[in-house]
Amino acid sequence: MTSESTKCYVYLDGKAIGTVKDGKAFAEEVRRNRRLGVISAEINVAYLKKLSEVHINADRGRARKAYIIVEDGKSKLTPEILEKIKTKEIDFNYLLRKGIIEYLDAEEEENILVALSADKITPKTTHLEIEPASMFGLTFTANVFPETNSAGRLPLASNHMKQSQGLYAVNFNKRYDARAYLLFYPQVPIITSVGYRTLKLQRHPAGQNFVIALSTYYGYNMSDALVLNKAAVDRGLGRSAFFKTYADEERRYPGGQQDYFKTPAATTEGYLGEHAYAKLGEDGIIEPEMNIKESEVLIGKVSPPRFLEEQTSFGVGEEKSRDNSVTLRTGEEGVIDSVMVSETTGATKIVKIRVRSIKIPELGDKFASRHNQKGVVALVADPKDMPFTKEGIIPDIVLNPHSLPSRMTFGHLLDMLGGKSGSVAGKHFDGTAFSMNGHDRIDQYSRLLEEHGYDKFGDEYLYDGRSGKRYSARIYTGVAYFNKLTHMVSTKLQVRSRGPVQILTHQPTEGKPRKGGLRFGEMERDALVGYGASLLLKERMLDQSDKAPIWICRECGDIGYYDHIKNLPVCPTDSGNNLELIEISYAFKLFLDEIKSLHILPRINLKSEA
Amino acid sequence: MATERKNDGIDVVPGEAVGVIAAQSIGEPGTQMVLRTFHSAGISSVITTKGLPRIIEIVDARKKPKAPTMEIALEKDIEKKYEKVRSVWRAIEEVKARQLISSFDEDLKNSTLVLHLDRDKLNFYETNGRLIASRLAKQEGVHVELVGPETIKVKFKGKTVEATRRAFINVLGATVIGVKGIMKANIQQEGESFYIATFGSNMEEVMAIEGVDKWNLYSNDIFEVMRVYGIEAARNLIARELATIIDEEGFTVSYRHLALVADAMTYDGTIRSVGRHGVAGRKESVFARAAYEETVKHIVNASVFGERDFLKGVAENILIGKQIGLGTGNVKLAMNKDDLKKVKGVRKKEEAKEKE
Repeated sequence: MTSESTKCYVYLDGKAIGTVKDGKAFAEEVRRNRRLGVISAEINVAYLKKLSEVHINADRGRARKAYIIVEDGKSKLTPEILEKIKTKEIDFNYLLRKGIIEYLDAEEEENILVALSADKITPKTTHLEIEPASMFGLTFTANVFPETNSAGRLPLASNHMKQSQGLYAVNFNKRYDARAYLLFYPQVPIITSVGYRTLKLQRHPAGQNFVIALSTYYGYNMSDALVLNKAAVDRGLGRSAFFKTYADEERRYPGGQQDYFKTPAATTEGYLGEHAYAKLGEDGIIEPEMNIKESEVLIGKVSPPRFLEEQTSFGVGEEKSRDNSVTLRTGEEGVIDSVMVSETTGATKIVKIRVRSIKIPELGDKFASRHNQKGVVALVADPKDMPFTKEGIIPDIVLNPHSLPSRMTFGHLLDMLGGKSGSVAGKHFDGTAFSMNGHDRIDQYSRLLEEHGYDKFGDEYLYDGRSGKRYSARIYTGVAYFNKLTHMVSTKLQVRSRGPVQILTHQPTEGKPRKGGLRFGEMERDALVGYGASLLLKERMLDQSDKAPIWICRECGDIGYYDHIKNLPVCPTDSGNNLELIEISYAFKLFLDEIKSLHILPRINLKSEA
Repeated sequence: MATERKNDGIDVVPGEAVGVIAAQSIGEPGTQMVLRTFHSAGISSVITTKGLPRIIEIVDARKKPKAPTMEIALEKDIEKKYEKVRSVWRAIEEVKARQLISSFDEDLKNSTLVLHLDRDKLNFYETNGRLIASRLAKQEGVHVELVGPETIKVKFKGKTVEATRRAFINVLGATVIGVKGIMKANIQQEGESFYIATFGSNMEEVMAIEGVDKWNLYSNDIFEVMRVYGIEAARNLIARELATIIDEEGFTVSYRHLALVADAMTYDGTIRSVGRHGVAGRKESVFARAAYEETVKHIVNASVFGERDFLKGVAENILIGKQIGLGTGNVKLAMNKDDLKKVKGVRKKEEAKEKE
């Protein structure tokens, strides 16, 4: 045992390859050679003191991070070298080659001591952080003040960022995206960060700086609800356009037949009626800037019939055709933004139509700040009823203060304070993670606010819009960057009391485009069974679903039908007329038909209910 | 009223959907349980299956549990005396012949096997060569001879070399001390008295050991408990095991739901799993079975045997669209409305109405 403990095993990519006497010195040796460029810079080595093992890793899939090397308490990235980088004399790869910066993997990081900044270097320090914010990824650093928020909120905030509406592309007028959202007046946030600027998000921003008051508002902003100022909305706050592209082509079929773009003749199979085609032009395609409502035709198209007709003795008669027009989906409306007619490589004519609809913030639209504070508009309040400051400023959003403490998103408060001081001083600020001490940051914002005659912590006396009286408490107000998210009621709202049913089962359809109902599923059924609400259950499963009156033969138990000529119900099995009309679910009738097709005859024996 | 008296002292109202409520009451916390099992390493106590995997094991009625364990209570007069408890423990933990030898010589030509016992190990287990030889002699077809104090010679008259070899392997793996199947046993203390916790279960043999309190023997092997103590004990064990696991996970589920599950699994005298092969697969109604799993099988069988569905259950009535017989559907009008006309006063009233 004693002889083994002095030995230090060396593993290459997890495989033991030998032993060395002094593992620490060996690891240092490998490192020195790597910095000199003798061995590849992609190799990482770690000495594990507890196990007395050296792990050398050269395989793929290791996440690595760059550090500035510190030797003898001095950073190797000297001001002279920095100057050379600025003049573009040398580049980043030069630093790697010369052993000034090196990449370390997770295992080797266990062996190092990193200083966050050059002034914190001690004799024991081995590395220097290039930028403290780099401990977050690019997406997290795109947010401001991530270090002040609860860690679990950061990925969620990033998620909101990608759902936000903005200036997604500058050539949006030339694009035919299947669906696209475009914010009307996108603004660059007052506070940005390194990640934000690196991604050049200020060139296509996706949000606006909202004036926010942290207050309740007559119960209208409970549980993450938002109160929006109608005056602001009328002036374009959160206004956006929703583009949707409808496309179709003239398909060719075997046998020389093909589709044609044209207004279908009234004799066409499946003709939708004169009104539906009213907005089509001569070519059967709708004209730009035409207002359009649901189930109106965008592209008139006739297709050959699905099945080949029999040849008449007089040769080819008039060809029958089938209406195959593209209509606007149910529940949508808008204006035709642009029409594009082109050809595919196969020389078939294609048409793309972009429909534009303007989405003004309304009840149910979703907004979020950059700190995972999302909410749904619950009231678009009349400005005369809203609180105002002594200068007459009415907040754009009244945000409920209860949404902050439990979620620990302190960055939201900082965002508001910084936004306020930036907007009064006409300045942009940097909110990169770890870029400034929190105390200094608040001091910086407070000083500017005080210089411009505001309370240094952003509190303000507000006056009740209804009574004109001043609220006794001061209310925290500020300016924060908000995103309008792509989830909007107008694209989701749907109701049904009666409507279409499926052909096969006679049960209601599913989904918004088919005007469907909401599924009353297995678990919902179990809940009613458990509660014992038997008649409510029957109503859901039968009366509001697929109730079907069916004639059952009292003699043989088979399903019969009603003969409307003789005015008698008939049983086809025993040709009798002794039948009973009962109500069962159509799905069950279908099931009986299906097992009949398996040569199994089900019989229903009727018994009179007392 | 009669019905009122009938319902007196009844906790559950007639027509209550106890099964559905039990299923929901167990199922809801079940969704929050993690499938992952945590192993509490260290402490000398034995490893057991816990959490959701164990619940699934019980409900599926697996024949052999993954981690069978026992808790062996001891007779009142010895349970506080450590030395006596230790001697019981010696008789319980299984030691195989292989564990006591330092080496063995196998002579397949002459069909002999010589075991050289390790003296230290013999002393540790407080045994000797003669005792071991007598235990080994119980093996089938072998002739055991004690050659020296620590040497045992085993002879086997096998027809083939393979048979001999197999017999020798059996000899090496034979239980020489303790009870077969008890892989590990620990003495545990509770207050002043001791009890023995084991990994591995063998109730039949353990209860025969002197000093073991056979009225307070606990095993988590449900099938073994059924074999040894009967179906009622197995039913109680199912409910109790479920209750302990759910309690350990920090959820609160009323015992009556777990008891109902245990009852449903055992009411016919055998242990049936919850699911296709057990409780659900043995429903009377064709539709109820077909609606669950293996639809075609049940329909075809029903047609072959000319089965009849009386439409009594819940699933069938939902399927055809009738009111279910539970809850508000449990009650029916007892009086025939045609009988009402026989009553004089009512008849006159109705006639008067018709005249109007």
